Amino acid sequence: MNNYKSIIKGDYLQRTRSYAFLITIAISLFLSYTFLPAPGAAYTTVKIGKYIGENNTAWIGYVTAMMTSIFLSLIGFYLVNNTIKKDRDTEVGMIIATTQVSNFKYLFTKVLSNFMVLLTITGLVSIMGIMLVFARSNGADFNIVQFILPYLLTTLPCIFFIASLAVLAEVFLGKWPMLQYIGFFFLFGIITANVLQGAGTNTKILMDPFGVKMVMTGMENVVRQQYDATATVGSVGFNFSPSQETTTFLFQGISWSALYIISRLMWIGLSIVAIFIASKFFHRFDIKEKVRSGQKKIIITESNGATNILHEIKLSSLPSIQTDYGILPFIKTELLMLFRKGPKWLWLVNIGGMIAMIFVPIKIAHQFVLPVLWFLQVGRWSDLTTKEKTNRIHYFTYAAYRPLERLLTSQILAGIIIAIALASPLMIRYLVMGNVMLILSILTGAVFIVSLAVCLGILSGGKKLFEILFFAITYSNLNLLPVTDYFGALGNSKNLIFTMLLIIAGLIFISFAKRKYEIAHG
Amino acid sequence: MILSTQHLSKKYNKEKFALKDYSLNIENGILGLLGPNGAGKSTLMKIIATISKPSSGTILLDGQDIVKEPNHIRKKLGYLPQDFGVYANLNAYEFLEYIAAMKGVGGPNLRKRIEMLLEGVNLVEAARRPIGTYSGGMKQRIGIAQALLNDPKVLIFDEPTVGLDPEERVRFRNLISDLAQDCIIILSSHIVSDIETIADEVAVMKNGILITKGTQAEVIKYVEGKIFEIVVESNAVNDFKIKHLVVNSTRQKENTRLRYISDNPVSGSIDGMASLEDAYLFLTKNNA
Repeated sequence: MNNYKSIIKGDYLQRTRSYAFLITIAISLFLSYTFLPAPGAAYTTVKIGKYIGENNTAWIGYVTAMMTSIFLSLIGFYLVNNTIKKDRDTEVGMIIATTQVSNFKYLFTKVLSNFMVLLTITGLVSIMGIMLVFARSNGADFNIVQFILPYLLTTLPCIFFIASLAVLAEVFLGKWPMLQYIGFFFLFGIITANVLQGAGTNTKILMDPFGVKMVMTGMENVVRQQYDATATVGSVGFNFSPSQETTTFLFQGISWSALYIISRLMWIGLSIVAIFIASKFFHRFDIKEKVRSGQKKIIITESNGATNILHEIKLSSLPSIQTDYGILPFIKTELLMLFRKGPKWLWLVNIGGMIAMIFVPIKIAHQFVLPVLWFLQVGRWSDLTTKEKTNRIHYFTYAAYRPLERLLTSQILAGIIIAIALASPLMIRYLVMGNVMLILSILTGAVFIVSLAVCLGILSGGKKLFEILFFAITYSNLNLLPVTDYFGALGNSKNLIFTMLLIIAGLIFISFAKRKYEIAHG
Repeated sequence: MILSTQHLSKKYNKEKFALKDYSLNIENGILGLLGPNGAGKSTLMKIIATISKPSSGTILLDGQDIVKEPNHIRKKLGYLPQDFGVYANLNAYEFLEYIAAMKGVGGPNLRKRIEMLLEGVNLVEAARRPIGTYSGGMKQRIGIAQALLNDPKVLIFDEPTVGLDPEERVRFRNLISDLAQDCIIILSSHIVSDIETIADEVAVMKNGILITKGTQAEVIKYVEGKIFEIVVESNAVNDFKIKHLVVNSTRQKENTRLRYISDNPVSGSIDGMASLEDAYLFLTKNNA
């Protein structure tokens, strides 16, 4: 047991002692503050028909716990799904592989460590929830049991499931991180669309790993029995609407059925069983590294690739070279690396998406195909400015001639070129229609998303933050949330473009300033 | 060409210095940096390579301050870091073209120059393969090739012989001896023999401080007349080591031949020929 504790502790500390985690915590705290809309806010999070609960311990506890389940499921997977990869990259995995730790024990400690990371965020969100109770409940008593129970029964099993799912994805799809991102994106969509919608049948309650369906149904029942027999929970999340006519009702919690508790235990049990099965297939770091090449994949060694003799080099006999401070060679290489990143089949999907943008109704192309197509590039953009450090190339790049002006600029341009190329079929359609404003909106969107990737990469020193945020933004785009519409899919205006340009300028400024500091200080 | 570091310091916190008041003049030729782990060799090299900024002090290249104007040295710099990486999906040509762009060099001869450098480091056969498939020694040779891409006038090699086999190490030494005629070369190594055979001057460092700098003969003078050898019974070795600075020991059945540094030799000792390694160990052990 002590061994478990030490491994989990080490893993947990390694992951939480990072700037990126600090930023994640800050974002989580901000988000948790918004889980309970302030009086007069232009959005709601949980609403049953036109009813929202009075701000008492039960309502705030249930709402924040449900929102935490949904949002930690949404971003938590992306936050924790690199724990085995980290061991592989740092070669700590090789050391672990030589110890007595069993595959199951190793994977299970990874699940627990993932769980601890998500639990830390849950803990902070719940503290924010308690602060909201005292700030907004107008002197109502604080009932600790009412507040804690939804976290205990809804959120904790949910984050355990996500922690396990992340490990499973790494075991089975470890070589294809892009497939993990996309796979979870669709899995999350399927769960929220099929399980969380419609009547709360026992099957749906059982099938809901997030655990919110039962709570939603319980809230509906309270409102239906006392106020409005037809009221339903539209959805759980941020619902923006210009006019929010709401009526408050007294919510005092729900009775937790045995079926629900069994379903929560079932998801925990299933997660452990799945980890046990996965442990039979775990590679235990016995991986043959393969690098994409034009021809068949091969590992070159001294004996089959080249002899190990260093010949003589006379600098004076080498052809003379000229000074060339242009950035075109950089852009060319950055594009080359962007093209080669990820599996080849993804380019077939990209081309499929581009063709789809020509033929599907233009609204569908703009609102759904384009954001998905851009999201598929998440792995390409997320390490646009972090790959020097992760590949230890920064020794060369930071000692390059004018690295800031030449290299960083070319990285941004290469990313934008990819974004624009992917959106080109849609832009051509708008050009044919003579809609210049929408073309400008898409161009602004392309520049924005790449600038965001660049800025978050430089600020956090890693790619996770952008990946998480991009996933959340795309998910919101597909749910047609106006607040995240960065590419004019839900309408456009000069004001929107102007605002976007200001944000882009800010992102670029921050990126250049931080990178300049990094170059100057190593 | 003169590279001059003046009162260079790099502080990690109030008490911890990676480099302390480090002043040194380097002219064309090879300067070997010797020092134990944590001596500040890599820090010094990173600062000269403009990757890291000193907390205080200046570095002048031909009178121009490169701390304030790093691009002045970057144009003429070749740098081989200790633990550099590569972009695994690029092949050798693509990688060297990328590095050439960073260094701001190009022109019609660039491709030919890259080819000749790849020939020089004997990677032509593997040049079309992604670098991610290369062995450690091959990656090190790519590192050497990139350092020479831009006709450098200042070459910094941080532990360059790591990953090279003994024959390659000899070739590498020959290579940089040739280069030294027209360049400043700063070379660090844990292997004293690498420095001993080629360095015009040697700087010995410890705890971020320059202990001494001079020609090999000047450095060796510190231990001249102080090197002795003695054969003792193996069970007496530990006691002997407590009393004397032993720089080498060789087991001979029940006995051990010890080479040690002392002003007062033990009776039965014979004189030994002082070497750079003796001087290095004497200076780094005695300057605690």
